Amino acid sequence: MVTTQAQAMPAGSTRRTWGRRLRGPEAFSLFLLAPAILTLVFVILYPVLTALNLSFRKVDIYSPGVSEGPFTLANYARLFASAAFWQAVRVSVAYVVLSVGFALLIGFGTALLLNQPFRGRTVARMLAVLPWAVPSVVAANIWWWILDPSYGLLNFVLLRLGLVSLPVNWVASPRPALAAISIVTVWKGYPFFTVMVLAGLQAIPKDLYDAAAVDGGGAFAAFRFVTVPGLRNILALATLLSVLWVFREFTYIWVLTGGGPVRATETLAVMTYREAFTFFHMGFAAAIGVVTLAISTVASILFIRQSGQEFY
Amino acid sequence: MTPGRRYGLYAAVVVVVGVLVFPVYWMFNTSLAPQNQLYVYPPTFVHPHATLAAYTKILHERPIGRWLLNSLVVVLLSGAYSLGVGVLAGYSLSRFRTRGAGTLGHLLLASRMLPTTLLVIPLFVAMSTVHLINSLWSVVIANVTFIMPFATWMLKGYFDSIPRELDEAAYIDGSSRLGALVRVVLPLAAPGLAATALYSTILAWDEYLFARTFLTTASTWTISVGLGSFRGEYVTYWNEVMAASLIGTLPIILIFLVLERQLIQGLTAGAVK
Repeated sequence: MVTTQAQAMPAGSTRRTWGRRLRGPEAFSLFLLAPAILTLVFVILYPVLTALNLSFRKVDIYSPGVSEGPFTLANYARLFASAAFWQAVRVSVAYVVLSVGFALLIGFGTALLLNQPFRGRTVARMLAVLPWAVPSVVAANIWWWILDPSYGLLNFVLLRLGLVSLPVNWVASPRPALAAISIVTVWKGYPFFTVMVLAGLQAIPKDLYDAAAVDGGGAFAAFRFVTVPGLRNILALATLLSVLWVFREFTYIWVLTGGGPVRATETLAVMTYREAFTFFHMGFAAAIGVVTLAISTVASILFIRQSGQEFY
Repeated sequence: MTPGRRYGLYAAVVVVVGVLVFPVYWMFNTSLAPQNQLYVYPPTFVHPHATLAAYTKILHERPIGRWLLNSLVVVLLSGAYSLGVGVLAGYSLSRFRTRGAGTLGHLLLASRMLPTTLLVIPLFVAMSTVHLINSLWSVVIANVTFIMPFATWMLKGYFDSIPRELDEAAYIDGSSRLGALVRVVLPLAAPGLAATALYSTILAWDEYLFARTFLTTASTWTISVGLGSFRGEYVTYWNEVMAASLIGTLPIILIFLVLERQLIQGLTAGAVK
């Protein structure tokens, strides 16, 4: 039966499906998607391919037509042999780990606190995620002032508490500068974790806590065996997104330190930008950018495999 | 909850939230400082002689009004385009399972993770070729690269929450497919549309990298480029930097206070969906 039907179909159906397709849901859906596809091709796909092409050409100050020079791997060879590149990799890793680590801790902590029932909780939640709404450049400006070595608030507090014996020269010495850019990033980034964890906490069934109580576990057991596993997926997702965002971060670093002092805060993103727009090594800069893109792509694939779940 | 625990909880909330929001207060506080109170130690927590002098001075000395206007233009144009495209694409991704549409959806999502410092290079080359450097159009176009994918996904989430049966009812009543979207679905999605528009506003207002690269003369700057231009000057008048920063933050904070709930939903929806 099935075979006969299948054999009988083709001749008549081709015309019918084509006719139907032109007016059918498929055509309509493509009609709706067309502007998005065109936009994607023109402002994202084409530029990315141009950058890829540029990374294989010897292009310094860009003028149209130069990108048609001969294919070369020189940019990549120079990149992998340069100490600055490996330094930027180290800085990027340290910056991402510091920033995302602390943002996760603070976001998780504030979410647990603001999940408790109390009067005024709505207002407290709103205030706790307020830094998210502060523009990035403004956040950098505020912290630039707070981190001022002579008159800044942070050194005043640290000296008062006896945590340091001398004022820290935040932005002008290497290690404190890395801490400085991480502080801004954490301050802007923790609300995302707060919001995600609060959303995740709503999704954990109350019965599980009751069951944990019946089993005789205390508050810690409930946290360890109910809260943490219940939040595993959402924390994994929030961490992945934050890692990718912080990895490509530019604004806080550029406004606060410009990558200095002596490249101590020059991440791959900042190095790409400096090579392109301070030194006009467009081909070389494109190569760094392509490597950055490759790293984030590989990292997200590995991460998604590891956590073994579908994110979309 | 015992009274002791309750007071402990309140104390913890006040301390934690207080510390986290303190930088915003500090911006406000410093913006009111008189010039002679800037370089004093220890810092002043409440200025006894608060003044708006820094605001009048900064508004007089820098084209802040112009920067705000430029930002507004960029926000409106890039937002309108992204929302228009996003409504159509988001509706399509929500309602139809066309071959290849899933791939497109994933591409849009992945494009939000692209390193912007990579994207800015070919865009700069393209903008130079078509002579759009120092034109706000360059920033409008560049902003579409991240606002359009974002808007599409956020709107898809809202469309998903509107029952398909309503579309089908519209078809039965003789409505065309586009008619169902325009007359039935869109009015229901209006709150989602508004939230997406405001969220896009925040993203475009915040953008710094493209604007800083494509706009080289101060009169074409957006507010974020203007606010990022204080560094490297010989003397830093903190009250003026903070006053300007506060002016540039106010529109966003207002949007946030009014629409916090919807924005938070968007924040999680964009990520979880």
